[in-house]
Amino acid sequence: MIKYISIRVFGLGVLLVLLNYLYVLFFYQRDLREKSDKILELRESQKKADILYFAESSNVNFRENDSIKLSISELTNLFFPKLKVIAVNNVASHAGIFKYWLNEIDLIKNKPKAIVVTLNLRSFDAAWRHSKLETPLRESLVLVEPYPPLFNRFLLALQAFDSKDETEREKEMLKEWKETQLHFPFEFKYKTVREWDGAMANGGHLNADGSWDIKKSELACHYIKAYAFNLNEHNPRVRDFDDIAAWANENKVNVYFNLLAENVEYADSLVGKELVFLMKQNRDFLMKRYNRNYCKVADNLDVVPGKEFTDQDWTTEHYGYRGRMYIARNLAAQLKTQFENEYQKAY
Amino acid sequence: MLFNSLHFLFFLPVVVFLYYVLAHKYRWILIFVASCYFYMAFVPQYILILFLIILIDYVSALTIEQVKGRLKLFYLVASLTANIALLAFFKYFGFLNDNLELVFRLFGEEYHRVNLNIILPIGLSFHTFQSMSYTIEVYRGNQKAETHLGYFANYVLFFPQMVAGPIERYATLGKELKETHRPLYKNFADGFKLILFGLFVKMTVADNLAPVVNEVYKDPLSHSPLQALTAMFAFSFQIYADFYGYSTIAVGAARMLGISIMDNFKTPYLAKSVTEFWNRWHISLSSWFREYLYISLGGNRVSLPRWSINIMIVFMVSGLWHGANWTFVVWGALHGLMLLLEKYFSKIFNFKIREGWSIFNALLCLKTFLITSFIWIFFRAENFDKAEQMIRAIFAVPLNFTLTHNMKVTGLLIVVMGLLDLFLYNSRFDLKINRSPVYLRWGLYAVLIFGLMALSGTQKYAFIYFQF
Repeated sequence: MIKYISIRVFGLGVLLVLLNYLYVLFFYQRDLREKSDKILELRESQKKADILYFAESSNVNFRENDSIKLSISELTNLFFPKLKVIAVNNVASHAGIFKYWLNEIDLIKNKPKAIVVTLNLRSFDAAWRHSKLETPLRESLVLVEPYPPLFNRFLLALQAFDSKDETEREKEMLKEWKETQLHFPFEFKYKTVREWDGAMANGGHLNADGSWDIKKSELACHYIKAYAFNLNEHNPRVRDFDDIAAWANENKVNVYFNLLAENVEYADSLVGKELVFLMKQNRDFLMKRYNRNYCKVADNLDVVPGKEFTDQDWTTEHYGYRGRMYIARNLAAQLKTQFENEYQKAY
Repeated sequence: MLFNSLHFLFFLPVVVFLYYVLAHKYRWILIFVASCYFYMAFVPQYILILFLIILIDYVSALTIEQVKGRLKLFYLVASLTANIALLAFFKYFGFLNDNLELVFRLFGEEYHRVNLNIILPIGLSFHTFQSMSYTIEVYRGNQKAETHLGYFANYVLFFPQMVAGPIERYATLGKELKETHRPLYKNFADGFKLILFGLFVKMTVADNLAPVVNEVYKDPLSHSPLQALTAMFAFSFQIYADFYGYSTIAVGAARMLGISIMDNFKTPYLAKSVTEFWNRWHISLSSWFREYLYISLGGNRVSLPRWSINIMIVFMVSGLWHGANWTFVVWGALHGLMLLLEKYFSKIFNFKIREGWSIFNALLCLKTFLITSFIWIFFRAENFDKAEQMIRAIFAVPLNFTLTHNMKVTGLLIVVMGLLDLFLYNSRFDLKINRSPVYLRWGLYAVLIFGLMALSGTQKYAFIYFQF
């Protein structure tokens, strides 16, 4: 009986190897194009790039009337004309995705001289971490898991990844806003995002006639929900950045975290100094944690004036050309420490 | 827990392993715990409803067996009322509200709607029907009341078939659950084959057809007649592959535990008449309605007009069982009507379908398929407006014969299902494949594994019948 079963199990194993080969030959590339196009883009980009730039939408968002339609990575490249800065952008991406992209770099054939990864303060908040966009982002990584491609394809069909639906994600987000305590070194009446948001929503801003300024209050609420958190090592996104830093040190590749600008000016005027305090405290946490060994942080948190943000009624890292230029110049200054000889003043 | 999930693919081997490791007297506890865990992966608190059903019918059956005369009937009616009330509350409360609102509006009165925001517990219609069949059988004296609450609970909860059937009778499943099963290679192998086949049918066929269907049904009139027709046929095969796939996995999972459960499908689209279709489609439900409703109404021992009315009642109730919407009732009524037409036609013209294969019989199969496919429109459409739009889209002019990618995919999948049905005609996958020559057997395994792993739909769709 054992021989009988062994022959069949062996036969099944051989069949699976054969089918995996057929899948790779005829279907794998098609599936990658459909589900993981950014991975394919990265596999191509790394062959040509001196500096790889991993970003979310901040690098591809322009104002309609921008006179300079160059992305942050392209503007950075102006400072290093002899080098090639190539960006791989994916809307709503974050360190949790970028860390998997790093595994796609062939360090023997295409080791880049440096990698820039956008460090987006909002990507640590509950709204981004529990966003519905997380499902397609996670889905895009399944086909490149370290298993045989045929097995990965099966995992994709089984939705064997973080594929929670929108309702579940929203529930988790609301729970976090309700339960996570906010800590200040001074007395502050709101202990959670929910309390703070609730107070702001119920007449945080008033018009001259004493009525509620709903538009302004709503915007202030967005700012609270986006930036009211205390960063620590338990934040899942911090753990993702830790992984990236560990990868950089292990593989001796310089990684630059491009801490993107947030609208600190509006945060101050709409919500107040307490929110700005949290934003700056979190910035300091990140600077301290990641400015070491093979990692460096380009601090842009408050370099872009409020009016230079493309979205005036939402919290984003989308900038007009001046904003992008400020950030690129700041980033270039950091890169200059490594590429002193290639650096050339651009503007 | 969904069968088409990694969760289940880990869960099943663990349960099977523990099942055979445990002594027989403890196995019912494992099945009970595993079934509760399986169900609670959906909405945990709804397990309480199942416990309530179990308790009601367990006590009722014991009481029915002990009392005599009219009291027997009293307890049966009480038990059935409790079951139906639970089903009505969770499934038909919103439907009742909608209809009362409509009636009140018709008379110019204002109706104060009661919104309870109830979510239908998954598979409630299946549990209640399965449990009710037990009390009815005890009442009829065909079944001894179960004294062991654990075994009875497992009959209602048995995880392979708890959420979408097959709707088993206690005489068969109850007996199977009590028997001592030894770990046999044949059971593992056959179970594995059935699960592989079921997953292929569900994930490769049904889940690839789902987007084709959904796209057209979202806005039928913005699609060409050919696209609408494709969606109509695609849904016929989507629902078949979806439910057939589920049922086959259920049979396979139970088989791994040495337990046999009934087949729910026998190549229904190869039926030569609507009557035959219902002997081949969702067999466990058809037989439930036949045994407990049709026969109770008088069966075929009544006059032709009365019999016709009975048929219509059975089919309309069957429609309503599927969903709390008039579209389902119309779907059932149309099937009933077709069945009556067939009966009258064969009576008037003394027409009898001959057994075996012939061109004429193939044309009859095609006719039955076209009829059932058309009637599925009412099953799939969210409301009558959508159904009407779909029909208008199918019969719209001018015709556009451009073949889209979706049409090609649908065509290919229909051919695949058609070939599988021809291969399996009147048989089941494991039985058929075990009799096939080795090259065909392994060739088919290769096709199924490749289809399942490399070509299955990349979006997960819950089994359609879970909503009932």
